[in-house]
Amino acid sequence: MNKRILYAQLLFFFVVISATAQEKFTLSGSITEESSNETLIGVTIAFPELRAGVTTNEYGFYSITLPQGSYELVVSYLGFKTITQKLDLSKNTKIDFSLLETAEELDEVVLTKDVEKLDLRKPQMSVNALSSETIKKIPVILGEADIIKSILLLPGVTSAGEGASGFNVRGGAADQNLILLDEAIIFNSSHLFGFFSVFNPDAIKDIKLYKGGIPARYGGRLSSVLDIFQKEGNSRELKVNGGIGAVASRLLVEGPIKKNKAAFLIGGRASYAHLFLPLFDLDNTAYFYDLNAKINYKINENNNLFLSGYFGRDVFGIGDTFRNTYGNAVGNFRWNHLFSDKLFSNLSLIYSDYYYGLNLNFVGFDWNSGIRNFNIKYDLKHYLNDKLQVNYGINNISYVFNPGKIEPSNDTSGIVEDQLIQKYANEFAAYIDVEHQVTEDLSLGYGLRFSNFIRRGQEELNVYANNNPVNFNQELGIYQEARPINTIGGSRSDQLANFSNFEPRVSLAYTLNEQSSFKASYNRLAQYLHLLSNTNSPTPLDVWTPSGSFVKPQLLDQYAVGYFKNIKGDLYSLETETFYKNIQNRIDYIDGANLIANDAIEQVILNGEARAYGLEILLRKNEGRFQGWLAYTLSKSEQRTPGRTLSDGIIETGINQGEWYNTPFDKTHDISLYANYDLNKKWSFNTNFVFQTGQPTNYPIGQFSFQGLTVPYYGLRNQGRLPTYHRLDISATLTPKKNTSRNYKGEWVFSIYNLYNRRNAASINFGRNDETGANEAVRTSIFGLVPSATYNFKF
Amino acid sequence: MRKLLLISILSSFLISCEDVIEVETPTDRPRLNIDALIKVQDNSENTTINITAKLTSSFFESSSIPEIDSMTLTNSDIATSEDRTISLIEQPAGSGRYTSTVTNSFLTSGVLILDIDYDNQQYTAETRFVPSVPISKLAQGTDTVFSDDEKEVIIAFNDIPDQENFYILDLDFNEYLATEDEFYPGQKFEFSYFYDDNVSLGREITVNLLGADKNFYDYMTQVIVQAGGDQGPFQTPAGTVKGNIIVKNSTEDTTDFVLGYFAIVQQYTRTIILE
Repeated sequence: MNKRILYAQLLFFFVVISATAQEKFTLSGSITEESSNETLIGVTIAFPELRAGVTTNEYGFYSITLPQGSYELVVSYLGFKTITQKLDLSKNTKIDFSLLETAEELDEVVLTKDVEKLDLRKPQMSVNALSSETIKKIPVILGEADIIKSILLLPGVTSAGEGASGFNVRGGAADQNLILLDEAIIFNSSHLFGFFSVFNPDAIKDIKLYKGGIPARYGGRLSSVLDIFQKEGNSRELKVNGGIGAVASRLLVEGPIKKNKAAFLIGGRASYAHLFLPLFDLDNTAYFYDLNAKINYKINENNNLFLSGYFGRDVFGIGDTFRNTYGNAVGNFRWNHLFSDKLFSNLSLIYSDYYYGLNLNFVGFDWNSGIRNFNIKYDLKHYLNDKLQVNYGINNISYVFNPGKIEPSNDTSGIVEDQLIQKYANEFAAYIDVEHQVTEDLSLGYGLRFSNFIRRGQEELNVYANNNPVNFNQELGIYQEARPINTIGGSRSDQLANFSNFEPRVSLAYTLNEQSSFKASYNRLAQYLHLLSNTNSPTPLDVWTPSGSFVKPQLLDQYAVGYFKNIKGDLYSLETETFYKNIQNRIDYIDGANLIANDAIEQVILNGEARAYGLEILLRKNEGRFQGWLAYTLSKSEQRTPGRTLSDGIIETGINQGEWYNTPFDKTHDISLYANYDLNKKWSFNTNFVFQTGQPTNYPIGQFSFQGLTVPYYGLRNQGRLPTYHRLDISATLTPKKNTSRNYKGEWVFSIYNLYNRRNAASINFGRNDETGANEAVRTSIFGLVPSATYNFKF
Repeated sequence: MRKLLLISILSSFLISCEDVIEVETPTDRPRLNIDALIKVQDNSENTTINITAKLTSSFFESSSIPEIDSMTLTNSDIATSEDRTISLIEQPAGSGRYTSTVTNSFLTSGVLILDIDYDNQQYTAETRFVPSVPISKLAQGTDTVFSDDEKEVIIAFNDIPDQENFYILDLDFNEYLATEDEFYPGQKFEFSYFYDDNVSLGREITVNLLGADKNFYDYMTQVIVQAGGDQGPFQTPAGTVKGNIIVKNSTEDTTDFVLGYFAIVQQYTRTIILE
């Protein structure tokens, strides 16, 4: 290296170090809500004279190191009384603040939660936060407040239609979302095949959705991180809240075990047993339930323990011919430890299990499958000084995949018990992530994640000629499953494949003036697990498969730039972003691939690629009686799987002739409007309006017949579109006046989903009508106008 | 088969509203459509071959009949050239139905080749006979899944042991199932099939069990799905189901292909009258 450059760098370090070596002291502590002692995320602690500040982390902790001096200190969080006090910082100081809610005292000004506020200075971009209050206000189908349905109203977030499970972020697939519930990975976020999400809104504190610029502490999924924080429990007094709705009822109890030291929270939700089934008038069951439990214990100033659990199940049954059960179970132990007032650490031990079971008595079999994983995480946050924060940590997840065990369900069944080959894998990651305020106007976030994935040996492994499990039949022009030439045994100590990736993450924020800033980010992410789903929307019986010898890890590069502006103080905020992303090794399926109970999934998978780009605009009104947002997204999402070049001279066409085609969730235009109006203390009104380009679909280019069947056939994939999707929902919340004077508070929420009863097409199917013998196009629409009423209470 | 059953159950929970709408569909050029499934009954010495030739049409139009120049069936294992190839004759003329009666032994051994000359282009396909097994049980049950008016029929057969097998069930009313013996190798496989409420009492239902090789099984699986129409939100990707009849010397026109399939399979039949 050139000596002069080296010298310059040393000098730079020296300056930085000498700058930090002045007489400095640390202020740290945690911030809670006065009434419940629940910690608050994202509270700002500001020093106006120094133009410095910090916000509380996921556990309500803050730390800031400043030169010795006497300052004014302002602790602010929207919806809470601001604390202003003088601070004489002449030694390391610990102050815990408790904030008082203001909402009930203010008649005129209604504020949103701080967590949703736009932060111009932080380099973090492409992130949307929603508080549980907002989520509960958004009108939803059948009045059941829902996290996933709420985030669909944000720019860049869509789903594959009503009743489709999962969600799609910036043109990414549903399996590319990392869904974390108190740091535990949730594999299936839906109840009832997607009508409701598995998260009880009463038990949730905040959610944060990262669509890009994903910090290095997250990894393993490409498109987004949905980070859900559960409440810890009220350690001051016993509180109960709940609701009685059209679909489900819920109850949540929280209270102190040891006052101000330890608290518990237990929440449950259950749907009514015969949901939707009056439609069928049969001896059937269909219901879901979930349970959330959490205990926290504050051992001392430096140590906090959390124990949390989640258990949810969906059950469907038709007489005794068919029964289907699935759901997540999560157990989580966490230990927050302060090594010093500058160094915060958290250790998490997480066990999670996704189960899918099926009993098909009329075919004579039982089916059980699932994924179990054990996750150890150790994360540290180092608040070096008021300009520099370093986060680092490690994470190890070991997985066991059970693709299915099939057993005879009765004596007459000819089914032979069979365990599909279980798969094992280990995912390790280490990261470092720096938040650096370089100058007053420029902040940088830079980090690196190293991830390693080992596919462990399994009982049996297929070996293929030329190591190629999929053959192309040039004569017929189709891909076909290759026959294994051998099957070898193995043990879990073997390594079938080993992948390592460095994932750089960079972001910057440049403050143009007090009211506006420019941000840019680049990130690379690796995803080692793939959801095998050959339908437009994931189903609970879709299985996850780990990367290995034949399935490569998906790799993403995403670039995003944005302009952010606060208008009239914080009254309005405007966020505009454009993004481009490119995904390698997106899996695609050969025509006619059977993914269910397939013990050799590699025979029907090809590795392709995907890309997406778009523009997002979010205009929010944050204060006042009238609040809400308007989101617009213009985007494109495509994938392609070109033919491979193999040594045997066969020319492959690829899937869809190797051409780019729209993903099933590509929506060119997507407009969402959400508005909330507080008329008076008694009434408030909410509305959503959604307008989207119809989803890509296929219209047949012709028909042929075979053995009496009329078979439509199709040209290139996803060239047609369903009709434009739009709907309007409204809701009204009534809070009776008598509430103010007593402890028991109740409210009524009345809502109408799809007010003008538009029959939005979920799909169009082409086939022959058996009665008339004529061909027809049949539109399926899921929800027409759906009214509902919910009663919520707390005491 | 498993997948279809699951999907039909899942989607039935969700679908609240369906209606027929008018849409315009794009048009492909007319292509040759050959249905050359030859079923060999176990209880006869001869088989009458019936091969149907059509031209494809756009989805809402009706198909037309092609003028085929020649259609022949060749058993390449037969040594004497005059016995090796038989011509299939369109009867009646203009109907698109090509027939001939041959002995079962002509069909059940060796490689059979179908050759078609049409519009100055030669098309060909080859196959081998695939055996099947008798239906050991066909009885009416009393269970229902979705509506009380459904009729349960219990079907059983004994899988051919010690080999990988595929079967196609022709359940009458243009309803088919494709199944493989992966989970019941060499066993008696018994399952229930549910006919909708519009199957009238006293009607005789014919159930056929056809043998299939892996490729024909894959083909039928896809044909059943694509013809099946309604799959709700769990739709599988729509595609063109390509069969085994290929264009000879396809260098001139790489975009030409034939829809349909050529297979020779054994068929066992049983009937039941629903009460």
